[in-house]
Amino acid sequence: MMPAMAQLQFCVLFLVYVATQCTSTNVDTVSSGINIKNVDRTIDISSQLVKITSKVTLENTGKSPVKNFLLAVEGTGKAKLAFIGTKDGNNKDLRNVETDVKGNDDAKFWRVDLKESINAGSTASVVVETVYTKALQPYPTSITQQEEQLVKYLGNLYFYSPYPVSSQKTNVILNTKAVETFTKVKPFLQLDGSISYGPYSNTAAFTEKELVVHYKNNSPFLTVTRLERLIEVSHWGNIAIEETIEVEHTGAKLKGPFSRYDYQQDHHSGPASVRSYKTLLPASASDVYYRDTNGNISTSNMRVKKDSVELDLRPRYPLFGGWRSHYTLGYNVPSYEYLYYSGNEYLLKMRAVDHVFDDMQIDELITKVILPEGTTNIKANFPFAVTRLPDSLHYTYLDTKGRPVITFTKTNIVENHIQDFQLRYSFPRILMLQEPLLVVGFLYTLFLCVIIYVRLDFSIHKSEHPHKD
Amino acid sequence: MTTLAEPDLGNGRNKPIFNNTTGFSTLITVTVLLLAWLAGFASRLFAVIRFESIIHEFDPWFNYRSTAYMVQHGFYNFLNWFDERAWYPLGRIVGGTVYPGLMITSGSIHWLLHALNIPIHIRDICVFLAPVFSGLTAISTYLLTAELWSRGAGLFAACFIAIVPGYSSRSVAGSYDNEGIAIFALQLTYFLWLRSLKTGSVFWSICTAISYFYMVSAWGGYVFIINLIPLHVFALLIMGRFSQRLFVSYSVFYIVGLLLSMQIPFVGFQPIRTSEHMAASGVFALLMAVGALQYLHSLNPKGQWKKLLIVGGLMAAGLVFLMVVFLTYIGVIAPWSGRFYSLWDTAYAKIHIPIIASVSEHQPTTWSSFFFDLHVLVCTFPVGLWYCVKNINDERVFVTLYALSAVYFAGVMVRLMLTLTPVVCVLSGIAFSILLDLLLRDDDLPTAPVEPNDKNLYDKAGKVKKRAPEPTSQADFGLGMNVRSGALIAFMILLMLFSVHCTWATSNAYSSPSIVLASYGNDGSRKILDDFREAYGWLSQNTAEDARIMSWWDYGYQIAGMGNRTTLVDNNTWNNSHIALVGKAMASNETAAYDIMTMLDVDYVLVIFGGAIGYSGDDINKFIWMVRIAEGEHPKDIHEADYFTEKGEYRVDSEASKTMLNCLMYKLSYYRYDSGGSPPGYDRTRGALPGNRGFKLTYLEEAYTTEHWLVRIYRLFEMFITSVPTDSVVYDFLTVLAKRIENFMMIAAGCGSRLS
Amino acid sequence: MSLEIESMVRYASPINPAVFPHLTMLLLGIGIFFTAWFFVYEVTSTKISRDLFKELLLSLVAALFSGFGILFLLLWVGIYV
Repeated sequence: MMPAMAQLQFCVLFLVYVATQCTSTNVDTVSSGINIKNVDRTIDISSQLVKITSKVTLENTGKSPVKNFLLAVEGTGKAKLAFIGTKDGNNKDLRNVETDVKGNDDAKFWRVDLKESINAGSTASVVVETVYTKALQPYPTSITQQEEQLVKYLGNLYFYSPYPVSSQKTNVILNTKAVETFTKVKPFLQLDGSISYGPYSNTAAFTEKELVVHYKNNSPFLTVTRLERLIEVSHWGNIAIEETIEVEHTGAKLKGPFSRYDYQQDHHSGPASVRSYKTLLPASASDVYYRDTNGNISTSNMRVKKDSVELDLRPRYPLFGGWRSHYTLGYNVPSYEYLYYSGNEYLLKMRAVDHVFDDMQIDELITKVILPEGTTNIKANFPFAVTRLPDSLHYTYLDTKGRPVITFTKTNIVENHIQDFQLRYSFPRILMLQEPLLVVGFLYTLFLCVIIYVRLDFSIHKSEHPHKD
Repeated sequence: MTTLAEPDLGNGRNKPIFNNTTGFSTLITVTVLLLAWLAGFASRLFAVIRFESIIHEFDPWFNYRSTAYMVQHGFYNFLNWFDERAWYPLGRIVGGTVYPGLMITSGSIHWLLHALNIPIHIRDICVFLAPVFSGLTAISTYLLTAELWSRGAGLFAACFIAIVPGYSSRSVAGSYDNEGIAIFALQLTYFLWLRSLKTGSVFWSICTAISYFYMVSAWGGYVFIINLIPLHVFALLIMGRFSQRLFVSYSVFYIVGLLLSMQIPFVGFQPIRTSEHMAASGVFALLMAVGALQYLHSLNPKGQWKKLLIVGGLMAAGLVFLMVVFLTYIGVIAPWSGRFYSLWDTAYAKIHIPIIASVSEHQPTTWSSFFFDLHVLVCTFPVGLWYCVKNINDERVFVTLYALSAVYFAGVMVRLMLTLTPVVCVLSGIAFSILLDLLLRDDDLPTAPVEPNDKNLYDKAGKVKKRAPEPTSQADFGLGMNVRSGALIAFMILLMLFSVHCTWATSNAYSSPSIVLASYGNDGSRKILDDFREAYGWLSQNTAEDARIMSWWDYGYQIAGMGNRTTLVDNNTWNNSHIALVGKAMASNETAAYDIMTMLDVDYVLVIFGGAIGYSGDDINKFIWMVRIAEGEHPKDIHEADYFTEKGEYRVDSEASKTMLNCLMYKLSYYRYDSGGSPPGYDRTRGALPGNRGFKLTYLEEAYTTEHWLVRIYRLFEMFITSVPTDSVVYDFLTVLAKRIENFMMIAAGCGSRLS
Repeated sequence: MSLEIESMVRYASPINPAVFPHLTMLLLGIGIFFTAWFFVYEVTSTKISRDLFKELLLSLVAALFSGFGILFLLLWVGIYV
């Protein structure tokens, strides 16, 4: 039992400690006790995205155990970074928190919390995965129908890190033999479809050296400029999902005429054009429709597989550089796959964004969830940072007050963002009766109108009863 | 024998023997009408089931676009809408040049449903409006025929008009056009007119006027009503059937109807200024005169003034006619417009207004299309007509006049088969009802009247006389059992064949959406050719927002509706010179066409080419009409004979004339067309190999061609030299030089970028 | 937050979707029968013979069955309200 004064002091000190801890989550300092022993980097630029996987071996050169470490991304690349994720040696996800470091305002930092701290003198290995969008520039910017598409990749030859790196290797995967130019810094080795750099030893922290690769890349350069995803939950056992997608070919623009004859006769015509792509839907999807503002698009194929439904979508016309298309895709899934309940509390677990095509990049995503009329107490939980827009109301069949709509939006999305979000709400089951009773009431008023009308008398004079025809 | 005309199916006059007869007969009537509505609705759904819910053809796309505009911007903005995306650079005053009834009907339904929170898209409402209104047409035909004859005849007529191909051809699901609601308004107006004539009540006349107002807002064919009803009144006056009821009903209808019809902006002051409406005014004046004379005559009923009545009536008629002719002569009243004049003088359109002559719907009707559209009704309707004439009264004069005028007009133009169909259904309904009455009548006759008389027979000898006429009357209708049952079976088979034919005709001939084509493979699998929507989708996504598209006027509404781009000419065809300019551009060589296109500020050119798949409705087949229309306005530059061979044939192969092989339409259709069967480059529609191949285009480049080569879109180059005279050699040389320099610069830029 | 998920059960519709067509036909059939009865009653009765209570009861039953029938029709067709 502490004296009152001591208790007060303790409280104050505790609060100060907590306050400093809170503020210190936003600002970190680079620890001098961490050294990176080895980095094995794979830069995959064979598709329209730049996927860098780095196997980092951390070494604790200090005295105290290390619980977390910092990751950094160059100032030039931070706008294009779509996703960063870390896994430890046992392939378990580690938590990243965005943070700042004094003195380095240009770069972007993340603090990664390790599951087990590294003791002094020992090492631990983590795998860092980063995905960049719009990092490959088509060069030349416009090509004719017959030409191949060449792109330029500008990156960093070394692993950008706040800690010194003892040794590092980089392997650039291109999947093509046609490389125009690439940075030649010894030691390097050009193989069939890849270039390997390194090993480079003893690089200081925050080193940047330009890595340029100019090569042929005919993989589809499609960007979804806007994806609007609408999820409508019905307590009669169905969840309806509708996606409105605007897609644009962001590769080298088409210069000159489009010749249908060349396109039909020559199979290699338009090597960078996109004829079709595959979309994967959830396994229980049914009643799939694919249309645009002018009506149904009939050029599609659907295959039901074991754990997904594969849709082979062909836009109305092939997409060449600079060409755009838009369409609407919709399907139904049964509610027992995604909706859980306990009493009057419900939990909806659905994907924030779904697969559009492999190696997709989405500029803007807007997801709307429509809940049944009369739901209250709505709480949402997201796996990544989103901007939640204010709730609105949606009016559809048999509605009086309107259905609440939860909206959230995010920019710069890739396949790694296909994760579940959670939505909790309360809905008294008796409210489901409101719908049939509304119809009954409407019909009953019609009958009442007939009953009243039959009792009305509009005759002007009573001298002769006109015959009712 | 008037006994045939008397209905005995519960119209309230007879005291029913069983209490529920009236109830059950009304229930049966309502059930039959609901089933007719359902049948009419269902038989129009073939296109929706086979393809999808989409607007068909050409004209409905404009109606749909206007309705969508109205729903989005509100009613007053629609009435005041000036569309600058049509008829570039002239624009179109939509509010004043369209019959708004259709848009208002769909817009109101849309508003009502959305107020009840039923979120049906405006396109679905537009697609399904015509089938829904076909059911309402069946109900109004029932009312009309019940007014004329009997309820049984009404039910027959309703069932006929629900499925007959002549009407369903213009009202399938997806055909969002004025006729879909206009026929309903027509039948309703006629029914209300007959009801007001029969009762002479102001209430029914006002109802007629309101229904007429709806008809005026819906269709330009309202001219038919406003001429037929005065003709009916005139015929009644001649037949000496003037009555107070006629006077009240026509005068109220004429005045109120006139005022209401002038509220439509498109109609405006036409009812008092054009010849087509003068019949109504003339008859009104005549009716006033006759009414006045009749009143004077009634003051002195001894008949001294009967002669005065007749002479006065004739003089008044003559005076009115002379007034109308005089006013037309001095120009106060406009003469008959081209469209209506060509109904009387059928050769007029071909010479003076080639656009009207070029529309396939305006050609004279053939005998086979009468049968195809009406089947057995075309044989039974004279029967109904004869019975109407035999048992004449005020209403039946009307239907006789209607039938005669409709038959004449249907013979002039295929399109006017639509106005013949309702009256054929009405009269056939009457014919079938009489036939059925005849065959089934004997079952009722011997039962009730005989029994009570039998009792009295033995009491009073005088009553024996009453029984005598009965055996003789039975002998008149002495149809034996076999004749009756045989005739009944034949009659049933006839009706079944009729419904089978109607469904078959609607399914095969009238249910094609024409913007989606389908071909069937050897194993029955279906291949959909969606080229039109492919091209319009490409246009709407990959051209600038304000790009101007030049194409033939057929496709104008579709480009505006689906592609959402500005067009130069469209199906409204109100400006013949603008269309002639486009025709001249298509018919000239590339250099002259380029001048016209730059003058018109064109960005893209769109042509339809069916040679790769054998589609016969393409632009090369329509080309000769383009030439004729262009020649009408520019006779010095374009000569139709230049496009034919020396023998006068229209060909596209090596025998074709030089002008034909070098005109813009030819080049745009066959540019780089080297696939399509054996030998490569073979034109399947014309069945020939094109004469001019392997040429290059100087001023245009291919922007997009659809998968089956159906739609071809070209982009215009922007040239730098514009001030040199266009017909000089220097100009040609400089333009070719500029093009060569531009090409070289493009290649150089490409190489340079590769090297860096 | 996800520890509650173990206590939660998957949600299924209160009425089995496979039954929707049969329910629709049954309820709409009965509804149409009562509507027809009401209609015949209205047409055949005169001012004196009309019974308000019978009318109200008949229309209530007809509205009830037709209303539920229409709801199941909507669900059967695919408009999950």
